[in-house]
Order: sequence, then structure tokens, then C-alpha cells
Amino acid sequence: MQLRAGNQPVKILQDISFEVFPDQVVTIVGPSGSGKSTLLGLLAGLDRPTQGSIRIDQTEITTLTETEMAHFRRKHIGYVFQAFHLIPTLTALENVALPLELQGISTGQSRAKALLQSVGLEHRLHHYPIQLSGGEQQRVALARAFITQPPLLLADEPTGNLDSTTGAMVIDLLWELHQQHGSTLVLVTHDELLAARAQRILTLRDGAIVNETMQPLSSSIPGT
Amino acid sequence: MIPVSFKLAWREITSAWSRFLFLFLCIALGVGAIVAVDLFAANVEQVILGDARALLGGDVELSWRRAITDKSRGVLNSLSDRGILVSHVTELAAMATVDIPDNQVPLTETASQLVELKATDSPYPLYGRLVVEPDHPAEQLLASLQSDCRRSPCFGALAQESLLIRLNLTVGSELRIGQANFLITAVLKKEPDRIADGFSLGPRVMISREALEATTLVKTGSRIQERYRLKINNSFSLEPLMDELRGHLSQEGVQVSSFRDAQPRLRRFLDQLNLYLGLIGLTILLVGGIGVACTIQGFITQKIPIIATLKTLGADSSQVIRLYLTQSLFLGGIGSLLGGILGVALHRGLPLFLQGIIPETMPMNPTIVPILRGIALGIIATLAFSLWPLLAIRHVSPALVFRQAIDQSQTMAQFRSRVTRWGTLFKHWWNDRTRVLVSVIIVGGVTGLAMWQAHSLTLGLFFSGACALAVLLLLGGTGVLYSILRHVQFPQRYLLRHAVNNLQRPGNFTTAMTLAIGIGVMLMTTLTTVQRSLLELIGNQIPSNAPSFFFIDIQPDQHPQFVRVLKQRFPDSPYDLVPVVRSRLTAINGQPINPEAHKGQRNGWYFTREYVLTTFRILPKDNILTHGHWWDDTKEHVSDGATNKPSDLPLVSMEEEAAKNLGLTLGSTLTLDIQGISFMATVSSLRQVDWSNFSMNFFMILEPGALDGAPLTYIATTRVPKTSEVPLQQAIVAAMPNVTAINVGDVLENIARIFRQLAMGIQALALLCLMTGAVVMIAAISINRYRRLFDLAILKALGGGRSLLLFSLGMEFGLIGAFAGLVGLGLGCLLSWSILHFFFDLTWTFDPIILIMGLLLTIVLTLMTGFLSTYRLLGFPPLSVLRQE
Repeated sequence: MQLRAGNQPVKILQDISFEVFPDQVVTIVGPSGSGKSTLLGLLAGLDRPTQGSIRIDQTEITTLTETEMAHFRRKHIGYVFQAFHLIPTLTALENVALPLELQGISTGQSRAKALLQSVGLEHRLHHYPIQLSGGEQQRVALARAFITQPPLLLADEPTGNLDSTTGAMVIDLLWELHQQHGSTLVLVTHDELLAARAQRILTLRDGAIVNETMQPLSSSIPGT
Repeated sequence: MIPVSFKLAWREITSAWSRFLFLFLCIALGVGAIVAVDLFAANVEQVILGDARALLGGDVELSWRRAITDKSRGVLNSLSDRGILVSHVTELAAMATVDIPDNQVPLTETASQLVELKATDSPYPLYGRLVVEPDHPAEQLLASLQSDCRRSPCFGALAQESLLIRLNLTVGSELRIGQANFLITAVLKKEPDRIADGFSLGPRVMISREALEATTLVKTGSRIQERYRLKINNSFSLEPLMDELRGHLSQEGVQVSSFRDAQPRLRRFLDQLNLYLGLIGLTILLVGGIGVACTIQGFITQKIPIIATLKTLGADSSQVIRLYLTQSLFLGGIGSLLGGILGVALHRGLPLFLQGIIPETMPMNPTIVPILRGIALGIIATLAFSLWPLLAIRHVSPALVFRQAIDQSQTMAQFRSRVTRWGTLFKHWWNDRTRVLVSVIIVGGVTGLAMWQAHSLTLGLFFSGACALAVLLLLGGTGVLYSILRHVQFPQRYLLRHAVNNLQRPGNFTTAMTLAIGIGVMLMTTLTTVQRSLLELIGNQIPSNAPSFFFIDIQPDQHPQFVRVLKQRFPDSPYDLVPVVRSRLTAINGQPINPEAHKGQRNGWYFTREYVLTTFRILPKDNILTHGHWWDDTKEHVSDGATNKPSDLPLVSMEEEAAKNLGLTLGSTLTLDIQGISFMATVSSLRQVDWSNFSMNFFMILEPGALDGAPLTYIATTRVPKTSEVPLQQAIVAAMPNVTAINVGDVLENIARIFRQLAMGIQALALLCLMTGAVVMIAAISINRYRRLFDLAILKALGGGRSLLLFSLGMEFGLIGAFAGLVGLGLGCLLSWSILHFFFDLTWTFDPIILIMGLLLTIVLTLMTGFLSTYRLLGFPPLSVLRQE
């Protein structure tokens, strides 16, 4: 992956190759600027690599057109951002229902309601993002990411903007949802405790994978 | 259930109403102008079509200007035998006089006034209603009144209020017209067969046919207009009857028209007026469209984070574009609705500018169709102008979501700066099929709008072509000025360079502001220049030796009397007195002319008009001989056959333009019909005539003696000082009541007044265009106000005082005004020159004062607009601004 800064190409990621299996939880760790977020963005098809190949569920996503990528994303990928990125002019319920509507499913509201209930926000359905706390906003974002039941869920420092208690709550929830829906989960994080809960940890430095750790399954079960 | 995307659109709009204020205004001004004009056009249509029979005075009208043969009279008389109701109306100009009792002198003074006399019979009006006050039957009001007047014969007469005011009369006063006396029995409020009296020579007086005879004004050669109106049974079909009448009467110069072509000239005039006003309205809408494009672009730039988020959620570009297009159309719809309301309000104000041109009783009620049409035009314009900025949505990468640190406006800026060079711009455009398609939609949309507004394919194409050319020239012209400015070194002028750079940095709206202001200035300059030239033609260019009066219908036996009265009272006044006779052209080179075939043609007027013939021994002054020879003025034409000319025909000298249009050359023969008698002449010379000298000018001049024996009358012109005009008119009319005096100054004043009124209306619309330009500028400035706020904060933080900041802003807005103004004025000059040169055949004069004033006013306007929309930014404390950023 190259980006251009002025006329100088900057290589952000190079010689990265890895495979993630269904239902796996993978965390990507590494110092700032190591290319973690870029990698996640590439996986989500938000950006394009200058070279290389990314396959998700048999689909080579680097060759998809912008529209094809959007359609692929709405069916296969959920994304949770560090900064939540809820739409400020929509209520919690509407934010969660939006991805379904983009797919042309009009019964989204009842499913969204159920999902918000499962993240403990049944009393906040009609609040706007600005009326919600950070933790609540991220829970809405989680519900939004899961509503399409995507096979792949990507989360970019989901606790980065939250205090540690709220962060822990959000992580528990993320794990719960992962288990309920059976999505493959790829997480980028600074948080070593959070990283330790994954089955597999990839460590990135200067755009390359420098370490990969596999963990016994048991450690990924919350509360143990 | 309401879709979430709809709620999203709705809330984005409702959370920022104030931002869209200018968008509403931009659309509303354009739509308002178009709706007002169209409502008026609908009213005109209503009046002309709805009352077509009343306006014509019947189902069919037969009209002519001179005596007709017995055979034709027989045809007319047979009409009533066929169950057709006939009404005979005669119209002519005449002098009305009143005695003013003077207590000091035993004699009475007389006051006189030119009136338009109309004699009617009892079936009149066949359609519609005559409105008079007091409201009595016309027959009773016009009846012969032997006992009520001081002199006999005496009849009742209806007079327009303006006559009563001018001669200080009331109902019950007496007047004298020709040899008859009249008692004014009622005020004439409305004639169903007269649409407006703006173009008349004087107030209307209506009398009976019996009374007309008593005036003895109708003599051979008098200037009269006869009208036979027919009311036909429904069972009769119109066309066969009209064909039959045309067959019998056309060759005698009788015009046969049906109610379907009532008021053709007024209709054409109003159609043209509506067309021009409508196109100015469309121009305003297009200028407003620039404001729409700016507002939408600013809006989209601000919404980039949300667009990126939507894309990460799997929305594709077309979904997002649809979402924002719906918003734009909704906003445009609201603006158009407001425009509809504004249009109705403007429409109410229209009669102010159209007094005398439209009937006072014309209904000015708004109808629904023009309003709906205006709203549709507004929405189409919104669509065309918001599509382009909306296309930028495709270039918003979803990756922006996690690259928050990057300035949100940069993707747009990057895209824009990549394509600033023309070559790359074109390549980019061509490679982007969607953009090509959208360009086609926009061009097609604007052209379609123009065609719809002009009701004509060619005119619509011409208008949109002219718009495109104007846009290119404006952008090209200002582009050259900016590049000159960039390459000039201003060593100590950092702020000037800052202003220039600011106008050209990515994400600027300089182009939009330049176009919006420039088009307004161009329109204003064009209209002012054209109007000034036309008014000058009417008013200022009247030569000092132009006559003050035309006297018409002087009978041959009154010729010496006329000269005597003139010499006695005004011995120093120069005068011209020539014999004339009216004629019609019936054949050229032996080929008969069919007047019907030439109707409606561009040069048709030359074939169907009436020609006033006269004789001159020597070439009149201001006439220049261009071809052939003037006749030998020592020889008299001898009609007994002892002539040395081979053709044996009298010679005629033709006016050049008329000859060209009639296809005449030297040696061509003309056959004219003079009061039913055929008369032939050979073209012996062509003349150039200066029509603007307001003297007696003739299309056809015959050699001396050629008209001997014809039923001649005389017309005279004379010039007296302004103060002597009234005494002269009164002296002539007192001595010869049948002679009609036409005051040249009054007539021209009348024309100029109507023209000025119209010009004011047109200019009010042009002003609206300039206003829209200012609104576009405010809209464009307000979009970038946060960036400007940041710039100002930095300048402040660096120690810039308020005056420095003002100077910096003034520099920027002043430059926009100066450049847009300069190029707009230049284009205005070009356009007005073309209009004057090609349409009016007038010379264009350069008036530096108007141009300099125009430029200064534009700069002042842009400075004021700019300061008005930025002055509040000056007050913000810099620290809070910089921290927020």
C-alpha cells in the first residue's frame, strides 16, 4: 500500500500476508503509525491497495468497482469506528436501521429496536447522538454494525475514545454480539488487555507484521 | 413507515434552514419574474381570445379607408337580406371646438382639441357592452336634440373623460365638430371594441351616423376608416362567407377579417413584449441557478463526513446522490413556491408600467397555470444546477472516515486543483461518462427551459447559445484580467496579492460571483443603452426645424383660405402645402397584386398599405436621388398625348426601401387605384428619404400635372413657436372646422411616454437580475465564511487592525466587482451594438459617462454586498476562532 504525500510516495504497508478463518477473533496491535488503521480500511474496502490482493469469502475485493464494493460492504462487512461516526441528524434507532434500509429492507426498525434492547439502550431509542454519552454512542455503533449480521466485523480502536470502565463494557458487548451472530472479528487496538482476549494477535511495525501469537481458545471467553 | 433516508434528508434541511435562505431567494426571484410575466400574458390572452368577438366588433369585420364602388355597396347591402346583422361604424380624426365665454370681451374665444370621432348605428355594439355614465341606452344618448342646444343641428355625444378634463367640460356642455353641434350626454367609460387608447391621437367622441352626416366632415379624400361588422347566425359557416366577401371586395382594398384574428397588431406587440420580458425572467432564473449550484456545493462540502459514513455503511454513490438530489429538489420546490407568491405580487404591480397600453378594465387576476409552470421551471432549473456539484459526491472516499485529521474540504479541493488546467479539465470531463451525461442533461435542461419560455425552438436555441457565449466571454475576459494581475509585481502590496490569491484558491466561488454579477451588468448596460438610443430617436433627435403641426384634409377650395389665415396670424412661419390623394397599389408591371397573399409576410406591409400620392416639381429637401433622373422641372406633363416619353405614362419617383421591397427597378410600371380609378405610372427614379426629419415625406412622388383631375385634398405643415401652437390651432379650426390639426410634439410625447413606461418595466426586471446577482454573491460568500473567519483571525493575531482587515476584504470584493463589471459592460456594449445595428438600424454611440458610472456602481454594489455579508466576522475575537479550528 502506498500513499502519496506531495510527490513522494510513502509506503505504509508492505509484504503483509495473512489469513483469517471464519468465527476467528483477530487483533492487530502496534505503535502509532504502524499502519494498523490503514490495514483495517483496506480490509473494509474503504481504500485500495496500490498492489496486492485481498480476498473476502472468495471475492477479490481489490478489483471491485466503487459501487460493487459498496454493495459488497453492505452485505458482508460491519465496521466500528473509534470516533463512532453516528449520523448526527438521525436518532439511535434510525442510525441502527439505516444499513438495512440501504439494502432495501424496510422492516429494519423492529430489528433495530431488538438489537438496541440487547445492547441495553431500549430507553434511548429516540435520542440523537449528541444526547448520548460516548459509551452509549459506541453501543449504538455496535448495534449498527451488527444489524446486517455481517460475516466479517471490523473494529478500529472501538474503546479508544472511551474511559476504561465504559471501554470494558463495550468490549464485553462486542464479544457477546460476536458470539451471538457468529461474525469473524478483526480488531485494531492499543489496549493490551483487549488484545489478549483474542485468539490471534498480529503485531505491526513500520507497515509489516513482525509478530503473530496464537492463544488457547479459553482465554478469549469473557470473564475467564 | 417513513424511510430513514427521507428522515435524514428532512432533518438535514430543517437543521439548517437559514443556510438555504439564499437558495430560496435565488430561485424565488427568477420564478417570480417568470410567473409575473406569464400571468400577464395569460391575462392578455384571456382578454383577446375571451372577448375576441367584442374586440373585433362582430364575427366578421370588413374595413376600408376610402369610398367603395356601387357594386361593392350592393354586396354589402345584400348581407342584411341574408339574415346577417350588420353594424356600420366610421372612424376619423377631427377637431372639437368649444366656445369659452369671455366676460371682458363681447366676443367668445374658442378652444379646440383633436379627437378621435366614431360614428355608430343602433345595432352597435354587436358584441360586448358599451359602458357609459350615466347609464342610459346609447340610442337615447346619441339622439338628435333639436331644442337643447344653443345652435342647431344638435345631437347627443359621448365623450371620454380626458376630453372633459382638457377642455374643462362636464356632462351637459356643448361642443362643435365640423358643421354640427353636440351636447355631451354621458361620459364614455369603455368601448367593447377598443382594447386600449395609449396609441390614439386624442380622446374619443362617439356620435350617431346621422350626426356624422351633419358634420359634413366626410368628403372625397378625407382620412376616414369605415368598418362593417357582421353578426352571423350560428348555422352559417364563417369561412365560405369570408372567401365570398374577399372575392368580391379584396380588389377594392377592403380588409376582411374574422374574430379569430382580432387586434393582430396589438396582439403581436404584446406577444413580443411578453417574449422579451419572459426571456429576461429566464435569465434571472439562470443567474439564480448559479446561486443554487454554489449553495449545494457548499452544503455537500460540509456533509463530506456524513457522506463518507454512509459509504462505509454500504451506501453506493448513486444512493447518496439521490438522497441529496431529493433534498435539493425539495429546497428548489420551496423556493419555486415562494417564487410563485412573489410572481403574483409582482403581477399586481405590472399595471403601473402598462397604463394606456392595456385596457384599464383588463382583468389582472392570477390564474393557476402560469404559477404551476413557473414552479416547474424553478424545479427544472434546480435540477440542472444542483446535479453538477452533487457529482462530487462520487469522489468522496469512505476512507475519509478514519482519516479525520485531513481537512474535510481537501478532497474537493484536490479534485478541483487537479483539473484547473483547461486541457486536463477537458480530458477529465471526457473520461468521466457520468459527467458527460450530466453536462448533456444540464445543457439540454437550459435549452429546454429557453424553448419552453420562448415557445420557439430556434429562439430557445439562440437564447441558450447566447447564454453559453456570454458565460464563456465573461469567464474568458475575467480570466485574462486575473492572469494579468497575477503577473504584475506589486512589491509592497501583500494584501492585494492576498486578495488575488484568495479569489483563486481552491474551493473559491469567484467564477460563480463573476458570472452572477457580470450577467446582471451586461443586461443592465444593454437595456440602458438601447433604451437611451430609442428615446433619443423619439425625443432629442427631432430637428429644430421640424414642423409643429400637420394639417390634414384641407379641401381644394380651402387652400387659399388656409394660406390667408396662416399669413395673417403668423406671417413669419414657414409652411409647406402639398396636394395629396390616397391610393392603393393594384399591380406591378401588369401583374395584379393579391393583398391576401402578402398578409403576415415580412414585407407584406408594402403591398397592402395605402400610398399617399403627391406631386413635386423639384426634389424635396432631405431627399437624395440614388438612381435615375429627376424630371425636367421646366416641362409640364401634358395628358393629351403630345408627349416625348416613349412609355406615355406619367413618371413616379420611388423611395428606395419601398422599391426594394416591392421589387421595383427603373422603368417598372405601377398600377394604382385612386378612388376606384385605375392609374399607371413608370418608375423614373429612386430616392433616399430621411424619415427622422418629421416633415412630409412620401414613398411615391409623381411628376407635376400627373394628378390633375384627381380628387385631391391638401396637407400642410408649419412651424410656430411653442407659445403660438394653441392660437394657431384655434385660428385654423375656427376658420375651417373640417381641417384636422395634429400636433407633432403631442404625438411624439405620447409615444415617448408609453415607451418610457415600458422601458421602466423592462428595466425593473433587469434590476431584479442584478439583485439576484447580489444574492448569489452573498450566498457564495456565506458558504466560505468559516474559512474567511479563520483567515481574518490569523490576520488579527498577526496584528492587523480593523482598517487593514477592511482593506483586505474590500480589495477582494472590489476586484470581483471591477472585473465582472468591466467585462459585463464590455459584453453589454457588444450586445446593445448588435441590437441597435441589426434590429433598429441605428448607430451605437459610446457614452463614457454611462459606462464609468456603471462600473463604479457595480464596484459599489459588490463592495456593499461583500461587506454586508462579512462585517459580523470582523468582530469575532481571534483566539476563540483559532482554538476552534
